[in-house]
Amino acid sequence: MRALVIDDSRAMRRIVGGILAGFGFEVEQAGDGQQALDAMHAGFVPDLACIDWNMPVMDGLQYVSAVRSNPAWRSVTLMMVTTESEHGQIVRALAAGAHEYLIKPFTADAIGDKLSLLGLLPTEVTA
Amino acid sequence: MTLTATSFDYVRQLVHRESAIVLQPGKEYLVEARLMPIAQKLGLAGVSELVETVRKRPDPASTRRIVEALTTNETSWFRDGDPFTALTSTVLPQLTAARGANETIQIWSAASSSGQEPYTIAMLLRDAMPTASSRVRITATDLSREMVERTRAGRFSQLEVNRGLPAPMLVRHFTRAGSEWEISPELRRMVTASECNLAAPLPRMGPFDVVYLRNVLIYFDLATKQAILGRVKQLMRPDGWLFLGAAETTLGIDNTWERVVVGRSSAYRPLKGV
Amino acid sequence: MTAPPITELIDAGTVQGIADEVWVAMLGEDEFLVPLPAELPTETVSAWVSVSGPWNGAVVLTCAPATAEELTRFVLQAHPPELLENGDVTDAFGELANVLGGNVKSLLPGPSKLGLPEVGTTPSAGSPVDTCRVDAVWRGHPLSITVQGAAAPVHPERNEVPL
Repeated sequence: MRALVIDDSRAMRRIVGGILAGFGFEVEQAGDGQQALDAMHAGFVPDLACIDWNMPVMDGLQYVSAVRSNPAWRSVTLMMVTTESEHGQIVRALAAGAHEYLIKPFTADAIGDKLSLLGLLPTEVTA
Repeated sequence: MTLTATSFDYVRQLVHRESAIVLQPGKEYLVEARLMPIAQKLGLAGVSELVETVRKRPDPASTRRIVEALTTNETSWFRDGDPFTALTSTVLPQLTAARGANETIQIWSAASSSGQEPYTIAMLLRDAMPTASSRVRITATDLSREMVERTRAGRFSQLEVNRGLPAPMLVRHFTRAGSEWEISPELRRMVTASECNLAAPLPRMGPFDVVYLRNVLIYFDLATKQAILGRVKQLMRPDGWLFLGAAETTLGIDNTWERVVVGRSSAYRPLKGV
Repeated sequence: MTAPPITELIDAGTVQGIADEVWVAMLGEDEFLVPLPAELPTETVSAWVSVSGPWNGAVVLTCAPATAEELTRFVLQAHPPELLENGDVTDAFGELANVLGGNVKSLLPGPSKLGLPEVGTTPSAGSPVDTCRVDAVWRGHPLSITVQGAAAPVHPERNEVPL
C-alpha cells in the first residue's frame, strides 16, 4: 500500500509518515497540493492521501477537488488531517470528495482507527 | 513533592485490587500527573499528601476517584467494528421479525465507559434502520458515576471524536459545543444511563434482547466471570444475543451458552433447556 | 461585521483545555501543562498564526529559545531527524501554534480564516481588553499562550501580522 502525506510542516509530514510506515505503508511526502499533484502525474498514485488544509501554493481543499475531477484517480482514498475543526469545514471537505477527516491534534491510535474504518489496515485483526 | 516508594506501592495495590489493572514500576510520573488535579481540588500540597490521607483513612469516594483517574482510557467508537455490523446485518432483522410490531427491543451496553458504545449503536440504528430504531431502547451502565454522567451529557472532546468515529457520522449527529462535540438530543433520548457494578447483584433491568459485555470479563477471576455471566443471562430473553470482546469467550467458563458465528464476529446465545 | 473583544468570546480555561489536548497528543500522553504563572525569561521566541474574520488577531505561543528546542524534540520524539536543525525548530514550533490556533478559531464566531504559521520575535501584546492569556509551566519551563487582538491598524494594509 502507498501513502502520500501532504503538509507544509516537515515535522507533521514526518509524524504522519512515520505512523503510516509503521502500519506498513510505502510513504511519499509533498509540501503542498501542487507538489502532490506533480508526484501523482509523475506516477506515484497512492492508495491513501493524508492532506493538510492550510498550505501555500495549493491548499488541501483545492487538491481534493483536483483529484476528484480526474477519473484515473478514483481509487485514491482521501483523508484530511488538519487543525480546521468547525462543523462547516468538515462538511465542505466531505462535499468536495474527502472520505475521512482527522482533526489535529491526534494520537497514533487515532490514525489506526481511521485506517481500520477505511479498510486500509493491511494486518487487520479479526476475532 | 516527589512520590515516595511507599505511596506509589499503595496506589499500585489499590488500583490492582479495585480494577485488576497493573501499574508497572516506572509509572510514578503518570501517577503524579493524573492525581495532581485531585490533590489540588482537595487543597492538599501534593500527591504524596493525597495518598497518605487516603491510606490513613480510606473513604470510598476518594479511593474511587484515584482508581478512575488512573484507569480511564480513551475508547474508540467503532473499535473492533464487527459486533456492530452484526447487529444491523443479522441480529436486528431477526429480532424485529420475531417480536410483535409494538414490542420494544432492548439493548444493554454493560460497560459503557463515557458512552461511545451505546451511541455507536444508536447512530448505526438511526442511519441503517430508521424505522426499527424507534422501537429500540438502549441501556448504558458503568461502574463509574463520572462515566455515567458523561454518557448522559453526550459530550466528547476533540481527541475522543478522533478515535474511530466516521466523519460523515460526526457531521450528521454532532454539533460543536465550545471545544467539545455534543451528540444530538434525538440520539441522547435513545440511551438511558445508570451506575451498575457487574461484580455485585444487578438491579432490576431488561429483559434484554442484545447485550454488549465487551472487555469486562478479562479483568476478573474465574468465579467472578461465572457469576457475572449467570447474572447477565437472568436479565436476557431466552433468544437473546451476547457480544463479548474479541479476546473473550464463555468456553471453559460457563457451558450454558452456545457460540454462533455472525458475519465476521461471534455471539453467544443461551442454550435451550439448560 | 465586528466581533466583541476576545475576552467576551473565550476564557483562559478553554484555551488551557485546548492546550492540554495538544500537549497530550503532540508531545506524549504523560505531558501536561501546569497552570502556574511563571515569569518568562528576557529572551523569548514566539510562534503564531493569524486569525481573520469577525474577530481579527493571532494565537501566539511564547517561551525561551531553549524551550522551543525542547518542545521540538518532544514533537519529533518518535520520528526524530539525526540532527536538530534550526529549520526543524521553526517548523515544529510553528506547527504547535498552528494546531493551537486552529482549535481556538473553531470557537470564534465564524467564518474565520487561519494564516500560515510564523516564527520570530515575540510580537508586542495586544490591547489588554482584547487579550486572553494563559501562563503555564511545562517540565519546569515557563511559557505563555495568548489569543490577542490585532493592534489598532496604523497602516491598515499591513495589518495581518500582530504588531
